Amino acid sequence: MSRTATALNYGYYPGCSLHASAREYDQSTRGLFGALGIGLSEVPDWLCCGATPAHNVDRLLSLALSAKNLTLAEKVEGDLAVACAACFSRLKTTQHELKDDAEKRSQVGRAIDGPVPLAKKVKHLLEILDSDFGLERLQQAVKRPLSGLKVACYYGCLLTRPPGVPQLDDAEAPTIMERVIEAAGAQTVAWSHRLECCGAGFTLSRPEVILKLTGDILAAAKEAGADCLMVACPLCQGNLDLRQQEVEKASGTRYGLPALYLTQLLGLAVGVPASQLGLDGLLVSPQGLLREKGLL
Amino acid sequence: MPRRRLARLLLMVRFCFIHPPRHYPAQRDHIVNPAKIVLSRQALNPALIARLKQLAGTSIRNCMQCGKCSAGCPMAGFMEHPPSRTLRLLQLGQNIQVLAGRSIWHCASCETCTTRCPNGVDPAAIMDALRKLWWDEQGRSEEKEVQLASRLFLDNIRRYGRQHEMRLGALFNLQSGKLFKDLALGPKLMARGKLKLTQEKNRNLAEIEQIFARIEQMRQKGKTP
Repeated sequence: MSRTATALNYGYYPGCSLHASAREYDQSTRGLFGALGIGLSEVPDWLCCGATPAHNVDRLLSLALSAKNLTLAEKVEGDLAVACAACFSRLKTTQHELKDDAEKRSQVGRAIDGPVPLAKKVKHLLEILDSDFGLERLQQAVKRPLSGLKVACYYGCLLTRPPGVPQLDDAEAPTIMERVIEAAGAQTVAWSHRLECCGAGFTLSRPEVILKLTGDILAAAKEAGADCLMVACPLCQGNLDLRQQEVEKASGTRYGLPALYLTQLLGLAVGVPASQLGLDGLLVSPQGLLREKGLL
Repeated sequence: MPRRRLARLLLMVRFCFIHPPRHYPAQRDHIVNPAKIVLSRQALNPALIARLKQLAGTSIRNCMQCGKCSAGCPMAGFMEHPPSRTLRLLQLGQNIQVLAGRSIWHCASCETCTTRCPNGVDPAAIMDALRKLWWDEQGRSEEKEVQLASRLFLDNIRRYGRQHEMRLGALFNLQSGKLFKDLALGPKLMARGKLKLTQEKNRNLAEIEQIFARIEQMRQKGKTP
């Protein structure tokens, strides 16, 4: 635990979405970490983790893709910072499954033509902020507290499940998102759908699934009195934000709930200029809400 | 047959006689018809159970039918056989009902079932294993679109090293025949710089191709589960 003033430096695995449909997550991560003085150096030539489709088709391929990423991550100093919940889950699952299984490890080793390095600590951004940087320091760094903003923290599936694999927080009753955003002065709401699945993997093939699952999540957040959702996964954000209009049309209810990345909200709090947070990347614009709360 | 064993058999058959969710679109072929279930030593398929254990690293034998997996499953409402029933059918050797059905393609891999199982079964991994069996032996299922999306996703990795979201969406629309799907979303995403027309190829693309090729070779030689 380095709660001292020593510099924190990490390898950084952004994942495919952060270079495309979730570019504001990448932008705001760099903005926030820059403001907090945390160094990020991107893993050279990283490849797609395969997400859900890879292990749905072939578990060995899924393990091999993540093993290759772990090999590439050895080229950068420090623990590996991961922003996307799906990439985080795949990397942690690979480490977990290969750690005690010599046979599987040798198969994966044969597939990537080399030993599988398993020692790298893989950390989600939340973990870095909560444990390594520390909530006290985060609190001190806040220049514009998010007071008055009621946030529904949405974990989704892969940040905490299954138990013993991601080891980010309790699998069924986590509080890490609430802890982090409360340190920035926001108010969090207690609500029912924090850990429910948004249907991410089906966004292309079965949109009716998304309308039902994402619709339930939006309705629950609204009912709990939230002003906005906070997410830590580009796939969840995609469904909650890009598909919100469709959900509204299908259910005949207007939600108008912006789904912001944790780095966007924290970035605002520590004084990163709004232009560096990609707020205009959201389809459900948060500008009105943030202005109303005096945060813009 | 001793009366107790008969009673147990009847109970097993009764268990499978559960009506599918009413809002499920009519796909009657694969819905369990108790008349079609034959329970015999031959029907119980120990080879399949062993193969599933090899693929998933967890045994369906440990399922004691508490139903917690189905209770928490966000996709249960879309499934003909929710997870606990899938496991029970497999225990009874009714693998065709499971494999030829749509439910295995409806699993979202959210890991809720695996998190909540009190007896260490990993239903999410079993679902992966079942899909693998189907990919290997049959290739195509009735859930063509779920399969198409997965295939295109992996094809992108092999071709570019990373996801090319534009190509993924465009090819999905073309190949599924849903040409106008999400068409309104495209310009909004492009205006925000979220959808790129082109995707650069990774510099280590040759190494990535090798990973795919080596796994294919290993499979051909039977050196992998």
